[in-house]
Amino acid sequence: MIDRHAETQELLAGYALQSLSGGDAAEADRLLAEHVPGCSECRMMLDAFQAVAGELALDAEPVTPPDPLLPRMHREMDPRGRRGIRWTAGRLVAAAASVVLVVGVGGMAFAQLGDRKASHVPTADVQELADFALHHPTQQQALGGNAQEISARGVQELYVYGRTVPFPAPGLVYRLWAVSGGHATHLRDFLPYPDGTVLVRLAIDPSTFDHLLVTVEPAGSEPSEPGDPAWPETG
Amino acid sequence: MRDGDREDLELHRRLSSGDRGAFDELYRRYAGSAYGLAYRVTGQQILAQDVVHDAFMALWRTPEAYDPARGSFRAFFLALVHHRAVDLVRRESRLRARSERAANLEPVVGEDHADAIAEESFLGVQRKEVREALAGLPPEQRQVLEMAYFGGKTQVQIAEELGIPLGTVKTRTFAAMRKLRAMLEETG
Ligand SMILES: [Zn+2]
Repeated sequence: MIDRHAETQELLAGYALQSLSGGDAAEADRLLAEHVPGCSECRMMLDAFQAVAGELALDAEPVTPPDPLLPRMHREMDPRGRRGIRWTAGRLVAAAASVVLVVGVGGMAFAQLGDRKASHVPTADVQELADFALHHPTQQQALGGNAQEISARGVQELYVYGRTVPFPAPGLVYRLWAVSGGHATHLRDFLPYPDGTVLVRLAIDPSTFDHLLVTVEPAGSEPSEPGDPAWPETG
Repeated sequence: MRDGDREDLELHRRLSSGDRGAFDELYRRYAGSAYGLAYRVTGQQILAQDVVHDAFMALWRTPEAYDPARGSFRAFFLALVHHRAVDLVRRESRLRARSERAANLEPVVGEDHADAIAEESFLGVQRKEVREALAGLPPEQRQVLEMAYFGGKTQVQIAEELGIPLGTVKTRTFAAMRKLRAMLEETG
C-alpha cells in the first residue's frame, strides 16, 4: 500500500497545480472519490499541496487592480442582503406525514457511502458549487436536516448542500429520491462527512421532477420504494 | 497562527454574515496579490480583472466554501484565484496561442504603487518566504512547477515542450511540491 500512497500523492501534486489532463485527471478523480477519503495520509497531503498552491501565488508581483473593480462588485451585491434576490427564501414544503421530505438529489454525490472517514468536502467540489451560484440565478430551497436544495431554472445541474446535517443512526443511510407524479425514482444514498457537511451534485434539471425526497434506509438495502422520511419534524 | 491569519479568520466570519466592510477589507488585503497572480497567469489585464472579480464574488456569495479547519484563508482564496485563472487561460488558449503573451507581458496600466506597498506590509513576510522556498528548488524542479502554475500548462504539455518523458515531469513536480511544503511549514 505504500506504493499506492506514493502514486496517489504524485497525482495529488499535479492535481493541486491543476496540471493533470486526460487519463491522469480521470485517475485523480477516481482516487479522490475512492482512496483519499479513507486515507488520512493522502488527505493530509492533499490539504498540504492545496495550501502550497495557494501560497505560490505570492511569488507573482502584486498589482493593484483598476479602480472601478470594487465599485462594480458593490453594485452586484444585492442591497437586500447577500443572497437577496438570487437566493429566494426557501419554497415551503408541505410536510404531511405521508409526504416525504424534500432535500436535494444527486447526480454525482461527493458524500457517498464509504466516504464517511473523509473529514471534509474536497475544495474543488465546493468551488463547483460556488461557480454554479456565481453563474446562474439560483434558487435556494430550505430542506430538513439543515440541508438545502440549490438549483437554477432551466439548468441541468442541482446541488444539495448542508452543514451540520445530523447523522442517521448506525447502520442507516440517507437515500435520495426524485418524486414525480407519485412515483419515486431512487437517485443515490449518502452520508454526511464527519464534520456534518453534505454536498451532492446532480446533473438533473429540477423541472423534470416534482420534488426531492430524503428517506432513512438500512445501508445496502434494495432501493425498491421509499421508507421513512429523514427529517419529518423539520418540514 | 500569525496575526494576519487570525484577522483573516475574523474577517471571513464577518463576511459570512453579510458584512460588506469585511468584504472590503479582504479585498484591500488580497486584491493586489490576486490581480498580480491572475495577470501573470493570463497575461492580459482584461482577463485578470475577470478572474479577480469572479473570485471575490464567489467568496461573497458562497463564503461557506472556505473551511478554516483545512488551512489559512489566504491559501484558500489565492488557490481559488489560481484555479480560475488557469481555467480562463485554457479556454482562451483554444482560441489563440498565448506563448508570446506569457513571455512578454503587456505593460500594466493604472498600477498604484502606494497601495502595493501597503499590501506588502501585511503579506511581506509570507511573500519573502515563498520566494525563498522557490529559489531553494533545483532548477529543473522549479522549471516544471512554474510552467504548470504560472504557465497554466498541463503536465503533458510540459513534457512535450521540454522534450522529456511525462513520468519525469510528474516526478519533478511531486518532488518540488513536497519540498515547498516542507520549507513553508518550517517557516510558517
Ligand atoms: Zn493513501
